[in-house]
Amino acid sequence: MTLNPQYAWVRRLIALAIFLAIWEAAARAGMLNPIYVPAPGKIWLALVELFGDGRIWPHLEATFGAALGGLALGIVVGIALGILAALVPLIAELLEPIMTLLNAIPRVILAPLFVIWLGIGIASKIALAFILVTVVIFFTVYTGIKQVDRKLVERIVTLGGGRLTLARHVYLPSVAAWVLGNLKVAVGFAFTGAVVGEFVAASRGLGYLLGFAQSTYNSALMLALVLLIMVVVLIIFAVAGKLEKYLLRWT
Amino acid sequence: MTLSYGGEPVLEGASLDVEPGQFVSLVGPSGSGKSSLLRAVIGLQRPLSGTTDTGLPANQVGMLFQDDALLPWKTARENVALGLRLIGVNSQAADREADIWLARLGLTGFENRYPRHVSGGQRKRIALAQVLARKPKLILMDEPFASLDAIVRSRVVKDVVALVESEGISVLLVTHDLEEAISLSDAVYLLGQGPRAHIIQRYDVPIPRPRDPVKSRLHPAFTPLHAKLWEDLSKEVDHRAEEAA
Repeated sequence: MTLNPQYAWVRRLIALAIFLAIWEAAARAGMLNPIYVPAPGKIWLALVELFGDGRIWPHLEATFGAALGGLALGIVVGIALGILAALVPLIAELLEPIMTLLNAIPRVILAPLFVIWLGIGIASKIALAFILVTVVIFFTVYTGIKQVDRKLVERIVTLGGGRLTLARHVYLPSVAAWVLGNLKVAVGFAFTGAVVGEFVAASRGLGYLLGFAQSTYNSALMLALVLLIMVVVLIIFAVAGKLEKYLLRWT
Repeated sequence: MTLSYGGEPVLEGASLDVEPGQFVSLVGPSGSGKSSLLRAVIGLQRPLSGTTDTGLPANQVGMLFQDDALLPWKTARENVALGLRLIGVNSQAADREADIWLARLGLTGFENRYPRHVSGGQRKRIALAQVLARKPKLILMDEPFASLDAIVRSRVVKDVVALVESEGISVLLVTHDLEEAISLSDAVYLLGQGPRAHIIQRYDVPIPRPRDPVKSRLHPAFTPLHAKLWEDLSKEVDHRAEEAA
């Protein structure tokens, strides 16, 4: 059987609908324990309730604030450190092992430490999102600059371009291209950092709600939150994708 | 001039004579240091000894590489205009000039295209426009046509010859293609095998201008000159091989 790839989304949608229908039917027939596996309808109701009484907004705001704050900070610092390391060999020598180590460990293990250092407020969440993002961006920029096409550099030099011209017309666009190419990864990391940070210790945020749902055995709320986080990240991915497509239209 | 990469000199004692408006080629086997010589002249590489004076200010010497090395994030117009901006032309005039030169190279309608969105031949033409727009007195070419397929290549070469003839630009072309060298040049320098390569001889090409690069291969002077160059080059390569053995 040959599948028309154009209609893949239709087939996926149908499969999902069938899956949800079976799940719902099984739940209504009493074949699933609602404590562990609530019916899709119940999950939907939990979601509607979250938005219905408006109590989700401060949590969404907290998570978004932490994720976007960490993302922005991580990108700025990651780019700055990447450029510095590429330009100053001593800084590269000192930074590389630290970054390699941070890259090798699951950085979310730092979450409890950040809570001790920065408290249960938004700062510890921003810090976690930041450390997750900055390491990725650092390596992107650092290795990227070292691999800037020599031919482009030589071309500009033969046209009489100096360091400033090279920085503006060769290095800066190259760096921007690499960062944009990794933007989706960075966005994913930023939300991971924010949510995990909130999960560890917080008084607000989607991660906090997840912890609350867990402690009250409210699996409908938990699945509703998982669904919500998925949707949020997908929307941001779509925006990042559009931005990337526009700014990298020359590729 | 002597060139080396730190070890034994690749190229030794090369001196070339390019008259104003003359098209001169430098041919030789791989590893003879042809490219290095051009890189030294344009200042990308420092010679071990000797000087590389073209007698011209740097902004009157243009260079065409085998790779077009256009900035991929800039459009055709922006790439050509950048070359002009770097010799002090203001931004509006640079854009205007860029469009004029792109048109002269047959790229009207491609001004806003990015290098990755045009063909290899068109990229070559953009790179040419970038160099020609700066009104150079001398253009150094490092196998610029090698990456093009035959038909595109002969058309680009034809336009290049017409433009450098009409603008009175001197050209120093580095190539390993003897036929291309003879058909385009007023004089051909033959470079021996490296290391310690040196210039074997200068051969004048008595084919009149203006030239059609394809038809000049049918000129009666072409075949004997080609045979002579080939013989001298073979002798040199064999001689070096014997020396090495």
